[in-house]
Amino acid sequence: MKKPRDLKPDTLSLHAGQRPDKEHGARATPIYQTSSFVFKDTETAAGIFNVERTGHVYSRITNPTNAVLEERISALEGAVGSIATSSGQAALHLAIATIVDSGQHIVASNCLYGGSHNLLEYTLPRFGIETAFVDFRDLDAVKDNIKSNTRLIFGETLGNPGLDVMDIKQISNLAHENQIPLLVDSTFTTPHLMKPIEHGADLIFHSATKFLSGHGVVIGGLLVDSGNFIWDQNNNFPQLSKPYRGFHDMIFTEEFGPAAFINRARKEGARDFGACMSPHTAFLILQGIETLGLRMDRHIQTTREIVSFLNQHDAVVSVSYPELESHPDYKLAQKILPNGCGAVFTFELKGGKKAGQTFIENLNLFSHLANVGDSKSLVIHPSSTTHHRMDASALEKAGISEGTVRLSVGLEDVEDLKEDLEIGLESAIKSI
Amino acid sequence: MHVFSGSKGLQGDKNPIVFVHGTGMDHTVWTLFARYFLRHGRDVLSIDLPGHGKSKGPLLDSIELLSARLLNYLDSRNVDKFSIVGHSMGSLIALETAAEQPNRVNNLVMIGTAFPMAVSEALLNLAKNNDPGAIDILTFMSFSEDARIGNNKNPGMWMTEGTRRLMQRSSKNVIFKDLLACSNFVSGLDRAKEVNAKTLLILGENDYLTPKHKAQDLIENFKSVLVKEIKGSGHSLMVENPNLVLDYLSEAL
Repeated sequence: MKKPRDLKPDTLSLHAGQRPDKEHGARATPIYQTSSFVFKDTETAAGIFNVERTGHVYSRITNPTNAVLEERISALEGAVGSIATSSGQAALHLAIATIVDSGQHIVASNCLYGGSHNLLEYTLPRFGIETAFVDFRDLDAVKDNIKSNTRLIFGETLGNPGLDVMDIKQISNLAHENQIPLLVDSTFTTPHLMKPIEHGADLIFHSATKFLSGHGVVIGGLLVDSGNFIWDQNNNFPQLSKPYRGFHDMIFTEEFGPAAFINRARKEGARDFGACMSPHTAFLILQGIETLGLRMDRHIQTTREIVSFLNQHDAVVSVSYPELESHPDYKLAQKILPNGCGAVFTFELKGGKKAGQTFIENLNLFSHLANVGDSKSLVIHPSSTTHHRMDASALEKAGISEGTVRLSVGLEDVEDLKEDLEIGLESAIKSI
Repeated sequence: MHVFSGSKGLQGDKNPIVFVHGTGMDHTVWTLFARYFLRHGRDVLSIDLPGHGKSKGPLLDSIELLSARLLNYLDSRNVDKFSIVGHSMGSLIALETAAEQPNRVNNLVMIGTAFPMAVSEALLNLAKNNDPGAIDILTFMSFSEDARIGNNKNPGMWMTEGTRRLMQRSSKNVIFKDLLACSNFVSGLDRAKEVNAKTLLILGENDYLTPKHKAQDLIENFKSVLVKEIKGSGHSLMVENPNLVLDYLSEAL
């Protein structure tokens, strides 16, 4: 028997979730820029509200353009469903708020994006949710920090900014032994470089602002449900396994099986927290995803050349990129990220903070801003910007010093980028 | 046997609706439809067959045994007359049940059905070995070409992975025993002649698992049958075209 094959990722990037518009034949995904949708009749309206008919009600909950994006990322990740949110932060918050209650606990990597760290360290405690930040390379430490009220383990496929490679298989094994789901931020890798679900992640979120879009013109997030976690294996997730008063005593595991989480996140979180994505934003992210494979391959190719260039430069103390043997996660990266370790990395300049500032100020093509994953190359000084709220100890644990510079390598001609960097590096040396 | 009947349970409806899922599935494939009938005051028994979903085993590898087990359960719940809806393997169980108890079944609905429902040796062997390839094949064959690209009527949900995940949740040997039950069921045409219930068949135009032309012999053997074909749909009609399936069910039941 011929083994059937599902469509390949590059095909899904272009097509998943969308067929040509039946009314007008539009090939591109139309932008349904509308707040609400007219019901055919009162019975149909009641049916959609009662989750017996499919359809759209109000764009805070669902929207046809957003639905294409949600299906597309689900297809690329191998997931049962997704929700588009107003930002990556909103996706992270939605994931947490759906399953973690006041008085409960999260175990998170100590190498997180500054925004995620802010939410977990400073904001969620206001709502009674505490987080233990742990070095995910130390599995014993992860295990030791799991408590009876731990409801989520969370890390990034590639830690920010030191590019710690998360051993998703090991961490997920540990999580599942303790009947806890694993949430993974896959922003830096995208499904083109790694599919976390295949390694054991239960939930994924993306800042779709970054590589998924590539153009840097929108803010958006995506929360993705693998459908693998068994939420009713114990009583730890009553949000999903017990009657929900907010929706006619619906028991999500009973009515949606593998899609329990994503349905609760939409029927409660999208409805009540309201951090929805604009349909126009969804359309722009879809334009980005169409070329995801092409762009990521080019990002990786150029990054490898830039890493090699910097690694040999006299002005540079060290480069942190998991494809270098000097990186602590080199072997793991070879195993789980064979197609590349992303296009964001850090390096250490000789001369500390002053050299770093001079370097950045003398760049022309690299834009100094707080973002990554743009098609245009970007640069930032983490200790004074994205991670400025972290104390010295936390910075050290995250692998950040005053001389650390983070690059996000874009799609420009690599020779032009090297020339730009050379000018910056020469200026940095002179400033010491 | 685990059965979903809504938060209020059975309310004494004289014609409750029994939903029977297909190979490797469970009662959650009927959620939308169950909710419709519950809102309209009907009693619903959406079952997990033995060894499926939250029902304990033992696994049964014949349609006759599965039907007998179902009737046993309905007797235990004092359900006298009822209507029965089945999908794929579940449609054969529904047929067998309607033939076995012709005076108890008011309506029979068979969705994504064919007779015989033969399964290739190659697929049976994969399933027998609990090879994940069996689930890959069934998932692939369960959807039309269009559905494999997506455009789900249910916003944000990726159809093929939802179906795959349900099958992946099945315990060891479930898929094999189900396929064996389908393949070994030989009395479909005779049983169709014994059915008194008003019968509706809902077929998918692009069903690769149970192609619509393979339902023709069945259709010719029923005393009274209505056939609805859903244009473009594959085998997973309740996923690919839930609203149309609901329209047909609400008209029939």
